[in-house]
Amino acid sequence: MRPAPVIQLQRVARDFHDGRQNRRVLFPLDLSVHRSELTIISGPSGSGKTTLLTIMALIQRPSQGRVLIGEQDVAGATEDLRATLRLRHFGFVFQNAALIPALSVAENALMAAAVQGGAVTAAARRRAQEALDTLGMADFWDINVSKLSGGQKQRVAIARALVNDPELILCDEPTSALDVESSAIVLKTLKRLSTEGRAVILVTHDPRVFPYADRLVQLVDGRIATDTGTKHTTDASADA
Amino acid sequence: MRRAAALKMLFHDRATALGSVAGVIAIVFLVGQQLAIFFGLTGFMSSIADTSGADAWVLARNTENINAAGSIPLSWRDRVAGVDGVAWVEPVVITAGQLRRRDGNTIGVQVVGCNPPRLAGGPNRFAQGSIADLLDPEAVTVDKLELPELGYPGVGDALEINGKRVRVAAVTTGLRGFGGTLLYCSIAKAREIAGSGGDRCTALLIGLSPGRDAVGMVALLRGILPRAEVFATADLSRSTKLYYLKNSGIGTSFGFTTLIAALVGLVIIALTMYTNVISKSQDYAMLRVLGARRRDVLYIVFLQSLYIAAIGILLGFLLLAGFLSGTRESALPVSLPWLVGPALAAATLLLCLLGSLLAMRRAVKIEPASAFR
Ligand SMILES: Nc1ncnc2c1ncn2[C@@H]1O[C@H](COP(=O)(O)OP(=O)(O)O)[C@@H](O)[C@H]1O
Ligand SMILES: [Mg+2]
Repeated sequence: MRPAPVIQLQRVARDFHDGRQNRRVLFPLDLSVHRSELTIISGPSGSGKTTLLTIMALIQRPSQGRVLIGEQDVAGATEDLRATLRLRHFGFVFQNAALIPALSVAENALMAAAVQGGAVTAAARRRAQEALDTLGMADFWDINVSKLSGGQKQRVAIARALVNDPELILCDEPTSALDVESSAIVLKTLKRLSTEGRAVILVTHDPRVFPYADRLVQLVDGRIATDTGTKHTTDASADA
Repeated sequence: MRRAAALKMLFHDRATALGSVAGVIAIVFLVGQQLAIFFGLTGFMSSIADTSGADAWVLARNTENINAAGSIPLSWRDRVAGVDGVAWVEPVVITAGQLRRRDGNTIGVQVVGCNPPRLAGGPNRFAQGSIADLLDPEAVTVDKLELPELGYPGVGDALEINGKRVRVAAVTTGLRGFGGTLLYCSIAKAREIAGSGGDRCTALLIGLSPGRDAVGMVALLRGILPRAEVFATADLSRSTKLYYLKNSGIGTSFGFTTLIAALVGLVIIALTMYTNVISKSQDYAMLRVLGARRRDVLYIVFLQSLYIAAIGILLGFLLLAGFLSGTRESALPVSLPWLVGPALAAATLLLCLLGSLLAMRRAVKIEPASAFR
């Protein structure tokens, strides 16, 4: 049986207005993202990787095309609905960790469960503890994040991405600011998360990361130049 | 969680957060100080009426201001005394004079002469001596706060007012005039100082029998004395204050200073809160990515504005209390009616929220996509 993709882009394109003229930075493309798979989106700087990521993340709307979660096209959904979908289904890891410097490790991790208000559930707290534990950050629970190294910060960011138990984890250049050792920890963790059943999208321009990929999608000038295809082979045709 | 985070994020940029708090403190303290001096000063305008202990006053026609009343015939006393519900009627003579200090300098004073033995309209708070000291025909009271202006006379010292000999017999507290330093003496001494005859006085003070209301009595007396001005004491007090507010620049001057203080505070709050949001915009963009809606970010900034208001109002009132207690014994007139406190706090909270509008507007405009730049 073919597993349903976590998210599916159909004929998605994106234009930007710069000044007077319309510039196309993504040309119509199809892409399905699956569970248990680490998909690397690569390409030179300016090729549209981040733009593609933010469209998949429901942060930016495509200029055309459909973004499907399940059967539902959410490309045109309201901002609030897209925010709530992000909260429920996605985890995020940024290039610079993007922790809130005013807060502790625990507060940063748990913030992901509290952004729309309400109390942090016991389950979210447990997941934060587990994730920090697994990442070797258990002893740092109450430490202010500004005291951490870059690698430690990124591990806290990964824990934060897991607090809401997401199906999809989206990472934009998560290792480009890290040393080799920290990069390896982050990549191994992301790889493990994918083998445990989550979908992981990792945007990078760094070829040294490619060995971790289950699937490699190369963007050039806003188009998919190569795609090694999903291991869910029955679905590969949809991405051709 | 969000509340604690909002507070920590606010104070992480300590300079701007403290700036906002300072803006709130500025409003509470400066406006509070202005109001305290304003109410202190307006209180002095009518202190003769406010300390009189009378229920109603009979004055010369067209009197609006107790410090500028003409004279009336003493014979009106008999027409009032017979009215049912009037417990007592006593004349007072209020006059201006020049007091010669022991060092030879002269200063303008306002003299209130009270009729023995009741001495109605006389002072009621004493640092030294008592009202009974005014039974001595030479006696005057001076106020503790005005001793410096009077050249530090002590009890028993002889002074001259308009060339007439008086002797300091008692020291009052917090009893100060507006038309010059306020002194009390016997009605005979006041007449002597004024050079007026025994058949006239400045006002008739009326005490009512228990259970009678001043408003009804005032209406009744107006009928009996059509050529007089009759006031309930509280109305005379109000009319006097209003007279000065209308006829002097005091009201506008205080209003203007208060407005400037409020505006300065408002601008400080607005700019610092705006700067705080700008400095944290990457954090807010990231929160938007994680699923915060525009209103969730707005809520954080709103909470921050409440924190700033709460901290600033608390510190501002502490400072104001310090100022008030520090000046209580000084020559600076200060008094803050208790209702002014909550009103000032509420107005400051509103100004703080108003000041945060700019920051809120900026915060809701932060796009999640900017977290990826
Ligand atoms: N908000 C925007 N407005 C205008 N142009 C943009 C915007 N975001 C991205 N672009 C442009 O789109 C192109 C692709 O950008 P991006 O997706 O960030 O590339 P990458 O992440 O691969 O470096 C770039 O030329 C960039 O200048
Ligand atoms: Mg990029």
